[in-house]
Amino acid sequence: MAIRNRRPTCACPGFAAAISLAALCVLTPSTAFAVADLLETPARSTELATVSLLNDVARAGDSERLVAVGERGHIIYSDDGGAKWTQASVPVSVTLTGVDFGSASHGWAVGHSGAVLHSSDSGSNWTLQMTGIQAANLAIAGVQQEIETTEQRLETAAEEDVGDLEWALDDLVFGLENMQADLSVGPVNPFLDVWFEDASHGFVIGAYGMIFHTADGGNQWQDWARKLDNGDKYHLNAITKIAGGALVIAGEAGQIHVSEDNGITWDRRDSGYEGSLFGVTGTGNSGEALAFGLRGTVMHTTDNGQSWERLQTGSSTTLNDGASAGERLVLVGNNGTLVIRNGANDEFKETLRADRLGLMGVVINGPQSLLLVGEGGVVLVEGDAGMEEQGAVE
Amino acid sequence: MTNPKHARGEHYLTTPKAEPFLERLIFNNRITILVLFAVLTAFLGYNAVKIQPDASFERMIPLEHPYIVNMLEHRDDLENLGNFVRIAVATKDGSDIFTEEYMETLRQITDEVFYLSGVDRSGLKSLWTPNVRWVEVTEQGFQGGTIIPDNYDGSSAESLEQLRQNVLRSSEVGRLISDNFRSTIVYAPLYENDPQTGEPLDYAAFSRQLEEKIREKYQAQNPNVSIHIVGFAKKVGDLIEGIGAIAWFAGITIALTTLLLFWYSRCIAGTLVPVLTSIVAVFWQLGALKILGYGLDPYSVLVPFLVFAIGISHGVQLVNAMAVEAARGFDPLNAARLAFRALYIPGMLALISDAFGFLTLLFIDIDVIKDLAVAAGLGVAIVIITNLVLHPLLMSYIGITAGGIRHVQKQGEETDRKWRRLSAFASPKAAPISVLIALLGLGVGVYLKQDLKVGDLDQGAPELRADSRYNTDNAFIIDNYSTSADVLVVMVKTPVEQCTQYSVLRAMDTLQWELQNTPGVQSTVSLADVSKIVTKALNEGNWNWYAISRNQTIINASIRDAPSGLINTDCSLTPTLVFLEDHKAETLQTVVNAVEVFAANNSNEDHTFLLAAGNAGVEAATNDVIAKAKDWMLVFVYGVVSLLCLATFRSWRAVLCIVVPLGLTSVLAEAIMAMSGIGIKVATLPVIALGVGIGVDYGIYIYSKLEKFLLEGKSLQEAYFETLRSTGKAVIFTGITLGLGVVTWIFSPIKFQADMGLLLFFMFIWNMIGSIWLLPALAHFLLKPEQMREKARLANAKS
Repeated sequence: MAIRNRRPTCACPGFAAAISLAALCVLTPSTAFAVADLLETPARSTELATVSLLNDVARAGDSERLVAVGERGHIIYSDDGGAKWTQASVPVSVTLTGVDFGSASHGWAVGHSGAVLHSSDSGSNWTLQMTGIQAANLAIAGVQQEIETTEQRLETAAEEDVGDLEWALDDLVFGLENMQADLSVGPVNPFLDVWFEDASHGFVIGAYGMIFHTADGGNQWQDWARKLDNGDKYHLNAITKIAGGALVIAGEAGQIHVSEDNGITWDRRDSGYEGSLFGVTGTGNSGEALAFGLRGTVMHTTDNGQSWERLQTGSSTTLNDGASAGERLVLVGNNGTLVIRNGANDEFKETLRADRLGLMGVVINGPQSLLLVGEGGVVLVEGDAGMEEQGAVE
Repeated sequence: MTNPKHARGEHYLTTPKAEPFLERLIFNNRITILVLFAVLTAFLGYNAVKIQPDASFERMIPLEHPYIVNMLEHRDDLENLGNFVRIAVATKDGSDIFTEEYMETLRQITDEVFYLSGVDRSGLKSLWTPNVRWVEVTEQGFQGGTIIPDNYDGSSAESLEQLRQNVLRSSEVGRLISDNFRSTIVYAPLYENDPQTGEPLDYAAFSRQLEEKIREKYQAQNPNVSIHIVGFAKKVGDLIEGIGAIAWFAGITIALTTLLLFWYSRCIAGTLVPVLTSIVAVFWQLGALKILGYGLDPYSVLVPFLVFAIGISHGVQLVNAMAVEAARGFDPLNAARLAFRALYIPGMLALISDAFGFLTLLFIDIDVIKDLAVAAGLGVAIVIITNLVLHPLLMSYIGITAGGIRHVQKQGEETDRKWRRLSAFASPKAAPISVLIALLGLGVGVYLKQDLKVGDLDQGAPELRADSRYNTDNAFIIDNYSTSADVLVVMVKTPVEQCTQYSVLRAMDTLQWELQNTPGVQSTVSLADVSKIVTKALNEGNWNWYAISRNQTIINASIRDAPSGLINTDCSLTPTLVFLEDHKAETLQTVVNAVEVFAANNSNEDHTFLLAAGNAGVEAATNDVIAKAKDWMLVFVYGVVSLLCLATFRSWRAVLCIVVPLGLTSVLAEAIMAMSGIGIKVATLPVIALGVGIGVDYGIYIYSKLEKFLLEGKSLQEAYFETLRSTGKAVIFTGITLGLGVVTWIFSPIKFQADMGLLLFFMFIWNMIGSIWLLPALAHFLLKPEQMREKARLANAKS
């Protein structure tokens, strides 16, 4: 089930319209515009973008370019490892939550109001590919088709299956009503992460079990929700591909979903943890990954998520993102938390940054440099990877 | 010419007929009048003693300004926003707060503040109050507790470590706990009116309690803590206390003036009687104010000083005139009568022009300035009575002492030589140089006054000095906490029960972002921020959810526990707080303009954006009123003074001679303001009117004599010499006494009083110099003695 993603008309100005709006902005103060919907309001060009909340950071393919996304439609990019940043042209002002590049030039960013943005020039200019309205319509159509299928099966079902099928049908109808109620309010639900294999294949995931797949660089999106075992519609928080080729999604209520066929089929695996997992990151070893979340929890697998064990980090704050380079592993979290392990057999060591501002994303820039993003914008940590942070609390 | 007397060369004002009606009325009923005065003095003096310092906030702001109208209309909705005190308890030796001793002192202070009357106990916050908590998200939901651990015993390392962790887990760092963990704040919201008795909060008493029961007591008890207190109530308390210092200034002023007066007259009676009469005038003025229902605010407290100074400066002329008559051999009664006869009309004219100068202040729509106009006008009216009636009557009994008479007789040739030298200012050689210097001064003044700003320019509370305790406390808190003392409040008005709608929050958020991108804005806070923060918290503290939800149910959940100040009772008003970097006029103007543009484009039936509350809002409105009133007031005060001179002297040349030196003084005064960083504000604007209104006296005295001598046929320089001989000394003395009357103010703990003192001192002295030095130079170019005499002769012949 897929519908063609139509270029938004006048209600949602596309890139061309955004350009003309931007041109108008030069002539008149932007305050002259009445408050419009966030999906129709281009992000304001501001020096504050590098010091405001940023939720994710990614490298554009194999290039030097780093791209970070955050509140108010802010997307900023840097070509010098995070020292100097430029604000990209973005047609929306929603809070953005995730960014990923399928190649050096093609990248996607996702966020609130179901916004999916695409850039084909390494993150300098962005266009709106999908909104929460279109996403909700796709999901509703998917459920409606499922209801039809279930009804058909019910007609021909064996006696002993009828009860189960009726239960399932009730669930579907209830779910459909909820989605329709949500849609009547507007594009209420956020996407929370994005992953792209290349310039064509990718997934966006988000709140209440939303997951959509594209095979043509985002021109058409397909609702993938019922390919996952997530009947309770828990949030899907993070998606990544680990060494060995497995795709891993981490989510609310300790969920782990793994696909070993590049996203065609998904298998729910038991993380052994019941709280929320906000991030998942590979280590570079085939089949090995860390999933982490609330209260400093870090779960560890070496077999594509078949079995998990809890690692002791000494941290008790929420961990949001992680990165690995060689043997080195860095996790970041709320209240300025950094959890770092320098060798596979070393202990994790926690430091708290003096400003105690929440951290949402990390890129390992090199052996002596970490790029962090979060509540206070961009933080470039040079030196021994932040181990000697001032104001650290033992 | 229509006035025959004037045309005959006799100044019709300065040479009345012998024994006018008023003189007979006064001098034939001396006992009755003195008894009447004694009774009045007793009655008004009794009232004067009862007059109270009064620093009412409302009287200091422009009530008619739309910002203030909006603010007062919604005052009840905003009540909890502004009125609180913050007491920072800091360690002195650089240690952190996690020690048993510190925490114990903090606990005792918290308890003590809890029992201060006026404190809204339910809102009291400190590390020790149960409403300050740490919260943590767990797998099961939220977990939290008070900052002080349940098993806190103060002494064990574990409980102090637990305390430290709780502090870190709370979101109070930067708010209740300083960024460097070396101080914490006790935050006490105050009741505007006592909820039980309905009595308004007594700021002076509350401020004293803070000093005695908190600062002094605990700094003494624990030598390792220093206490810093800020808040509106503390500031007002300090202001009222500052007014108390005025008593000292009054004493010093009286002492200095008495000495000067004795040096001038060398006569005990001629010294004490004017001082006493002027003090009587001050008592009358204060008593009359009390009866009319006024208090003494920090501005109008200036007026008694002016009344005293004006009383002395006019009184000295009577003493002078009496001494001259007495030296001619008249007895005290006749000397007093002759002095009265010579002085009552020019005296009244000068005083009336003073009063007109003051009354131009009524143009400014700020009550405290209007009060000042009323108080000063009333004071001048009283001085007319005491000075022209009481003073000569008393002197008619006492008379000038022999020493005083000798002093007058001695002043012969020696002083004449001095006046001869000064009369060169009118000579053809000196006049062009003087005018050139004046033009140069004007040019420099105009150049320098380009930097003149409207509003308050210093950091901190502008009412108090930068190094005052309040402002150092304020600086301490700004340095150590994430906070600004300059707050502009934009009120967002919505239909009832609609103030939390998505559209409202979204519009506020847009305004906030607009403002955060406006220079001068430090940060902003509104319900939109609360909603974003709590929505994030409700989503397990995940920053990905930091946004205003489009789902109203989620919004409602997110603001359930929003601070009461951010929503009014029927949810029809919600404020956006804009914290500014400073309160300079440009900063205020830029920010206010940004809000105005936004409000004009985004106010609709769902949400109306209204300016303005908060101290910065009030200042923006005040600056607006001042900037608009400034030029009007100048035009008006100069217009009135010019008309008065024109009516008296019937010649535009005369008007120019008198008014141009005043104009030079005004320009130079503004240049001084620009150079010393004094802005045009509620305190300094009246000074211009007062300076011009009183300053014109000198010109009137000098010109009237000068004209008289010119009409007698003397050359300009000769006429000016005679002028100086007869009135120069009195004019110089008047300038000095007026200056002395206000100069002590420079040492006032209240910043704006010091500014007023400095400027008035300058204007009084410089106006005097201008009339003695520049007036004759201008006369050289402007006056045509032949024409004047010709006109006078023709008019004379006609009559």
